[in-house]
Amino acid sequence: MLALIIDDSRAMRMILRRIVTGLGFEAIEAGHGREALDHLERGRVPDVCLIDWNMPVMDGYAFVTEVRSRPEWRHITLMMVTTESEHGQIVKALAAGAHEYVIKPFTPEAITEKLELLGLVRDGALV
Amino acid sequence: MTADIETGAHAVAPETADVLAVTEEVWRSFLGESEPLLPGPPSDRADAVTGAVTVTGGWDGAVTVTFTPEGAAAAACAMLGLDPTDVPSPGDVADAVGELVNMVGGNVKSLMPGPSTLSLPVVAGGRVTPASEDREVVRLDLTWTGHPVTISVHTKGSR
Repeated sequence: MLALIIDDSRAMRMILRRIVTGLGFEAIEAGHGREALDHLERGRVPDVCLIDWNMPVMDGYAFVTEVRSRPEWRHITLMMVTTESEHGQIVKALAAGAHEYVIKPFTPEAITEKLELLGLVRDGALV
Repeated sequence: MTADIETGAHAVAPETADVLAVTEEVWRSFLGESEPLLPGPPSDRADAVTGAVTVTGGWDGAVTVTFTPEGAAAAACAMLGLDPTDVPSPGDVADAVGELVNMVGGNVKSLMPGPSTLSLPVVAGGRVTPASEDREVVRLDLTWTGHPVTISVHTKGSR
């Protein structure tokens, strides 16, 4: 399974990469939403995206909206991983098509638990 | 709401204990649990590295995290999984400090009235000089791995 990590912080991408590759995912990265869309348009369509909200060029909410407007990408699981923790922002992201929402700071266990809830991981490994 | 000690007026400001709790959670999650944040003396080194985010909307304020250059490099090594003796690039140091202040600032924002917008982090050399109308409402002088760290929250003076 392929995970696309979208965050403008290289440190955060590395932290998330360590978590998801430890679970068995292959991981690719993007520094903002536009770069992530470039991956998808070039055919690197992931099974799951881990998406920061506040990023330059294209933010995470705009990315979710764009992905959900494209029927061929409807199967992609979208998980926000962000410091945005206002109830209104969470509702907005979920209404736009995000499946799960993780608030930074997080633990590896929190990411794993969410991926288990999404049916991608079981007992610490890919399903 | 906290009371202004000097004037008795009330300003919308986070509680110091809440800011400390948020900061400790960020540190534990991303810099490890083996080296806790501890109270420390104030540091005013001119070569400090400061990350800042602003919040605008239901609450207007700014949050800064200030390291010494050595402390900022140690934080970058911890976040990137490098050996503590490695020398991270200036870009990696800025990235790590920016992400730390982003997380502390984002969680401070969640403590305050909303809705609000969090800026992208800015990282620069030196200490932050706030606008004249801003007031420092929370300041935490801490140490981490022996390096001074200062967390500061400024808000518009609402009296």
